[in-house]
Amino acid sequence: MARFSGGKAPFLRISDTKGHGTNVLMRDFIIGLLPVILFAWYKNGILVYSQGNINFFEMLYPLFFIIVGGLGSVLMEAIFFLVIDKEIKTPKQLMEKLSTSYAAIPGLILALMLPVYTPIWVLLFGCFIANIVGKSLFGGFGHNIWNPALLGYAVIKVTLMGVINAAGSYLNVSEVLVDSYAGATPLAMLAKNIISYDALVTPYGGLWNLFAGFHPGGLGETSFLVMIISYIWLSARKVIRWQTPLLFVSVFFGLSWVVGALNGVTDIWFPLYSIFTGGIMFGAVFMITEPVTTPRNPLGKTIFILFLAVLTILFRYVGNLPEGFGTAIILMNIFALPIDKFSAIIKANRWDKVAYKYIAIIFGILIVLGLYAVLKAGNSYNLFIPLIQIGGAF
Amino acid sequence: MIFQKTKGVHIDGCKGMCKIRPMQEYLDPEFVYIHLLQGNSSLKPVVEVGETVKVGQTIALREGFAPMNIHSSISGSVTAIKKVWHSSGKMVEAFEIKNDFKNTLDPAIKPNKNVDSLTRDELVNMMKDSGLSGLGGAGFPTYFKYLTKENIDTIIINAVECEPYLTCDYYFLLKYPKKLIKGLKYMIRAAGAKKGVIVYKNYNTKIKEALSELLPSDGSITLFEVKDVYPAGWEKYIIERVTGKTYKFLPSEVGVIENNSTTAIVYSDVVEHNIPLIVRPISITGEGITEPNTFLVPIGTKVSELVEKCGGYVEGLDTKNANYIAGGPMTGRAIFIDDLIVNDTLGAVIVKPIVDGPRPECMGCGKCADVCPAHLTPTEIRNAFEAKDTDLIRLLNVRKCVQCGLCSYICPSHVEITDYVIKAKELLRKAAK
Repeated sequence: MARFSGGKAPFLRISDTKGHGTNVLMRDFIIGLLPVILFAWYKNGILVYSQGNINFFEMLYPLFFIIVGGLGSVLMEAIFFLVIDKEIKTPKQLMEKLSTSYAAIPGLILALMLPVYTPIWVLLFGCFIANIVGKSLFGGFGHNIWNPALLGYAVIKVTLMGVINAAGSYLNVSEVLVDSYAGATPLAMLAKNIISYDALVTPYGGLWNLFAGFHPGGLGETSFLVMIISYIWLSARKVIRWQTPLLFVSVFFGLSWVVGALNGVTDIWFPLYSIFTGGIMFGAVFMITEPVTTPRNPLGKTIFILFLAVLTILFRYVGNLPEGFGTAIILMNIFALPIDKFSAIIKANRWDKVAYKYIAIIFGILIVLGLYAVLKAGNSYNLFIPLIQIGGAF
Repeated sequence: MIFQKTKGVHIDGCKGMCKIRPMQEYLDPEFVYIHLLQGNSSLKPVVEVGETVKVGQTIALREGFAPMNIHSSISGSVTAIKKVWHSSGKMVEAFEIKNDFKNTLDPAIKPNKNVDSLTRDELVNMMKDSGLSGLGGAGFPTYFKYLTKENIDTIIINAVECEPYLTCDYYFLLKYPKKLIKGLKYMIRAAGAKKGVIVYKNYNTKIKEALSELLPSDGSITLFEVKDVYPAGWEKYIIERVTGKTYKFLPSEVGVIENNSTTAIVYSDVVEHNIPLIVRPISITGEGITEPNTFLVPIGTKVSELVEKCGGYVEGLDTKNANYIAGGPMTGRAIFIDDLIVNDTLGAVIVKPIVDGPRPECMGCGKCADVCPAHLTPTEIRNAFEAKDTDLIRLLNVRKCVQCGLCSYICPSHVEITDYVIKAKELLRKAAK
């Protein structure tokens, strides 16, 4: 008679088979970032070099910048573990700890969102905010509330934007030479202007340029086209749910169209312009699919996305905030927990009586917020005037 | 999305290990041990130590909820009442019966001449007297399903066997396809139903071949294919696919009774020859077994004898770092000592080395909520359990969980999420008292 080990059912685990664990998911995620990194290098390094505006070593700088972002994040977490965790004594233990906290990812994403000539110390400050404040202090991987990279970016944006502006703002060396850019990203133009094709799209050389990503913006967040490649890879490897980015982009496209139509622009260029700018696709592929800070169950994810789309409309067209999408994500990250809970209850009871209360709360807020955002952005309160008159008649 | 049906997940079946060898019979063990436990209720013995018993003789009674009879599976003498391991992971008292190798049958076992004139009640009573219980693994007394007052329209035979590794139903069906059709016909009569459906997985073409010739010409019995996913053998999944209807608590709400294929085969013997439930097929398989095999054995056989017939454990198996699983790999139970006895619900014993790997934190990818066939969100249930919030656990409808194990299976971080859900269920049960 032999003694056997205990264990919990099920005894088959997908994580035991090769190529299915969390490590592999994270590896695939970084591979998904590669096209974006290469594009960022091409746009801000190789292309500018080929135009003869910078020398060879300056061409390598964007790549260097992104790698510093990744390494900076790992360094921050390594220091944090050394200070906080008394159990870590040998370098091997430290490596083990780092290998299950996936430290490099926030730094890489942060670097891709910043303008290319951001000073390195600002980037490292961002890494500090992202990895220490945004992640480790909450309890490490799997416990953070905000998307670490986005939190780092937001803090930089609020506190150190002046430093970045002094260093060259959002334009790389070639883009400075283009007069029509006027020192602004496409969305900053939107905040200044009324909606017209000539003001919004023409300075950037047409919709194709916006789609391919050759317009001023963060290092790697500009290209819709490259993000589609990443999206296909990540979906095929099942790192992200393929529905999430698709749903967000299409809902945002639809809402933008309505906003445009209410402002008298019914052409398709306006919604297209809306989804090509402001890092919509970058956020849709890499941030709203981020597992830790978004709801867990499919229904919760759908609700989360609807809210995000509405809030992005609100911040961007009503609040005239170029970073509307990032702000919306940070705000919604806080509500990921209640949305998750409510949607879990709704789903478990299969839209039954028990869940009516929760359905009413969530969809009530969503509808009111959505109507307000769209009508306000479309300056269309006068639609209500007949209703008010009817009300007054009684 | 809102009213989606259960999708299921494709899992590598690992059934090839057993399927390369035909089913063997092992009908004369020296000792058998009949557990004094059926389902959750302990049994009342009706024979004493020292008495001689015959094959098929009633030796114990299940009393209280759903009473029925339990029979001796061999002839010989009762030598002791001993505590032995049961597949539920507990030690349970059992009759030890020493085989006299004479195979004397109980006088009740004889061909039934008036099969065609049996009434509905008599057919149901036969199920009860023969101790027939769900042989797929639930062990629910079969006749109890037939006492329903609802109008039954369809009998569904579940030959899906969606658990990986298991081949016992598959082999038993291929061995007795005619008996399956007969058993199904008797079941249709016992329920007063109109038609029968046999459900099997799409890759099991042999089942299709074996059965399609035998189907009656009036079209009252049909075949139905389901996809190769887990949990395709779940009652609700099958009934949703076959009838398109969904039910809340019991299949009889939509006019359906569902039985396992092995149960139907045994039932045909019960009706025609009065042979009660005394044998069942069992797979001995897994990476830790030298020559995995499927056996037909009397209930009460020692599993260790079967393992020996399979050539024992593979060489160099570190048993301290391996699992000895009673039942399928998804819903089974780890037994600490390899001293298990075959009981009516045990379809397989699997010996499998444990795979070591990294165990990162839950990152909240939500894959468990994606695959849950009962539409639950296991991560939320885990949070509610850790907060001991019974109201929230109730709102999250944790009772719907069928413990299929898919959430743990799919988890990339190897979190024991199924176990948290089971614990939450228990917490709710305690709080309700």
